[in-house]
Amino acid sequence: MNEKELQIAARIKEMLSENLNIPAEELDYDIALFGDGIGLDSVDSLEIIACIDSEYGVAMTGVAKENFYSITSLTKYVVENM
Amino acid sequence: MNKNINTRCVVTGLGMVNAIGKNVEECWNNALNAKEGIAKVKSVDSENCYAHLGAEVADENLEKNDKVDRVAVLCMQASKEAMEDAGLTITDEDAKRFGVIMGSCVGGVVSIENYIENGEKTEDINKMSIGQIANNVANMVNAKGVITNIGNACAASTMSVAYACELIRAGVGDVFIAGGADAFASVPFAGFTALHALSENPCSPFNHSNGITLGEGAGAIIVESYEHAMKRNAKIYCDVLSAGISSDAHHITAPRPDGIGQMYAIRKAIEKSGIKATDVDYVNAHGTGTAKNDEAEFLSLHEIFDANDDISVSSTKAMVGHCLGAAGAIEAVYAIKALTDDKVPPTIGYSDEDKEALKEKAGKIDFRPNDMREKKMDYVMSNSFAFGGSNASIIFGKAAGNVNETENDEAVYVTGFGIVTPVGNGVENYIETVKNAKNVEEVSLMSALGKEDYDKFDIKLAFYRKLDKLSTMQVVSGLEAIKSSGFEFTDENAEDFGMIIGTGDGPLTTVYEFQEHITKEGNQNGSAFNFPNTVYNAAGGYLSIKTGMRGYNVTITNGNQSGLASICYAANEIKQNRAKVMLASGTDENSAVMNKLYTQLGQVAGAANDIYEGQEGVVLSDGSVTMTLENASFAKSHGAKIYAEVAGSAMTHEGVEIGTIAGSEAGLEDAINEALKNAGITANDVDAVFGFGNGLKEVNEIEKKVYASVFKKAMPVINVKNYVGEARAAAATLAAAHASLTLAGELGDKQNGYIFDGASVKKETIDTTGFEYVLATSYAAGGSYCVVVLKKVK
Repeated sequence: MNEKELQIAARIKEMLSENLNIPAEELDYDIALFGDGIGLDSVDSLEIIACIDSEYGVAMTGVAKENFYSITSLTKYVVENM
Repeated sequence: MNKNINTRCVVTGLGMVNAIGKNVEECWNNALNAKEGIAKVKSVDSENCYAHLGAEVADENLEKNDKVDRVAVLCMQASKEAMEDAGLTITDEDAKRFGVIMGSCVGGVVSIENYIENGEKTEDINKMSIGQIANNVANMVNAKGVITNIGNACAASTMSVAYACELIRAGVGDVFIAGGADAFASVPFAGFTALHALSENPCSPFNHSNGITLGEGAGAIIVESYEHAMKRNAKIYCDVLSAGISSDAHHITAPRPDGIGQMYAIRKAIEKSGIKATDVDYVNAHGTGTAKNDEAEFLSLHEIFDANDDISVSSTKAMVGHCLGAAGAIEAVYAIKALTDDKVPPTIGYSDEDKEALKEKAGKIDFRPNDMREKKMDYVMSNSFAFGGSNASIIFGKAAGNVNETENDEAVYVTGFGIVTPVGNGVENYIETVKNAKNVEEVSLMSALGKEDYDKFDIKLAFYRKLDKLSTMQVVSGLEAIKSSGFEFTDENAEDFGMIIGTGDGPLTTVYEFQEHITKEGNQNGSAFNFPNTVYNAAGGYLSIKTGMRGYNVTITNGNQSGLASICYAANEIKQNRAKVMLASGTDENSAVMNKLYTQLGQVAGAANDIYEGQEGVVLSDGSVTMTLENASFAKSHGAKIYAEVAGSAMTHEGVEIGTIAGSEAGLEDAINEALKNAGITANDVDAVFGFGNGLKEVNEIEKKVYASVFKKAMPVINVKNYVGEARAAAATLAAAHASLTLAGELGDKQNGYIFDGASVKKETIDTTGFEYVLATSYAAGGSYCVVVLKKVK
């Protein structure tokens, strides 16, 4: 990741930790957020969408699932759509 | 041995207010005429939200009353109408067998918003909780029996009608106003917005299924024993036959896709009513209009009713919106009117194209699009499903039916405990605290939970990170109680295991913080993550998800005494054969928010001291205490350790101003006398009282005065609040848990206590070895009392 991406990833991590009550130390940038990893569900994804929209103005409603896979993939989507 | 308890419960009065009417007649006629009550919302700012519709009650249709929250205004109006309709006048003697059970989802949330946005006025604080609703109604009608509220979100007021019948059949009352209310408010509007569960167009249940439209209103039903109704020559609408209540144990907001929780509730209602599925003529469906609800409900309805030749189903939510905690009561009134008028109200909003599409999904079931239908009916059903995975189904009949309710004569035993308190978690920690006679020292205490607790009960991050503190405390105390009792169940009999959660303030902290956030950030920015925790039954919902217990699951709320009332309720479920094992809990949370509110009310002590000697005000505290109750044969079947027997109980109310108990002595006196009678003993048989004094002068004084007048002798009193502070509902359950531990000898032969003798209270070491019968007592501000008799098991 370049500097800008690292900055965004760090901010996404912070939001996930604060708003979804996930201890920061569990949040590697590549850990699977849904399914067997952190175990997020559809309600959590609404919260992620709301956070990214308000922070970066990037709308993720209806966006393909793989973009939500990890902090890295979320970061990539945000950078590409800012 | 089982005996039948088929006391006929009849409906003798109805009251209702919603978006399409200010009374039953208006609401009913408008429903038959397919009038839509949905319009752009006025009371909530929707400007930046994606959806803007609601079904609000017009101000001119509502009586003015600034002294209570809007939810109570709605509830009192419907209750008054029901009382007048029933022609009920309550004499002082009747009053003790006259109760009020109200359901609500968000309670006084309008007052929370007012408090935050309009200068943090003290007068708003006592209007915030659900607890005030039934109190306001009880005081209006002079009811002095069982007064409580059910907090199971959108199933709450179906459960309140069911509970009223259970209490009549248990013989503890003759007449109840049962129902519920919810007011339109920012918290649910912003919450459902965040969940993307609101429809942009008027909701379209069983049709487009693209979301709900919120509504508001109240429904009130006078439920009365047939005998009582006949004696006073009352007009009888119909019989309440029976109900089914279950828990999904699946997800905190979504229903089980396989519908098995709903189906269990529906089938149980049918079975207990002594009818067949094919006898049901009309179902007022839950029918919210979300895809998940409608799919699961289509499945359940087809599975159970496809053999019917002519069954009609409709969702009146298409006209009056989803009234949350009031939905069950409003829809029960609609179902009763449908039954007695032989007219099926429609689900509106279908185009010709929609009607064609419906035919495919409907099969043989008549889903009644757009137009009402006249048909002869004998039995109708109303279904309600809620957040937390709560399901309730109830049946009304033109005739008595063949109700199949029973009561067993087995003892109900206390077999285990779960204790979360600020002085440590786990029963062993509490026992240590008592043995070391370690009293609280701070004036504000909060329980702490962490990795150690999660590991002990195998609670994973993916689960516990979702929970607010109230729910976390509840889950940990529930799991400890189950573990200590050692009972096991399988997927096949998971419906025989349930819980009653008692809470005074419920998730008030979470609701307050949710409101604070949207006040700052706007209704379009509510937190989807936090919203599920704003319902009172989230704690019980999470516990059922974690344990897989799919049985009876109700959260009751009426002040501190809810933690003892949960024991009365749970024991009755076991007696009436609806469960083999019930958890009975009391749970309340302390937080910066709660501390601020109680401090503003002037209730928090300046310094911690002995409860009856010098402390002025309460040590505000929190916790969750759970007791496992089992019927004797089940306890025996797995070799459970038996701590005590729940030998009797009573719940009473002597209405005084909301927020105080001054002047309500008669309520406590009645509660003790009734509980003794219920246990078949006299005041002379009582060896000790596990009391509720908390340092508030009026509370301590009432205890002193009433124990002196009832027992007329020196009485040993033990008070758990010296050890854990005023943990409200948790302290109420803890009084019973402490009493049970004492009777079982777990706390040693001697412990600290007091001798109450007339006006004097003396600190003394109490020898507990000879105790046989003891009482646990508790109160709620407003004048409600609960007393449980515990008996030593030799």
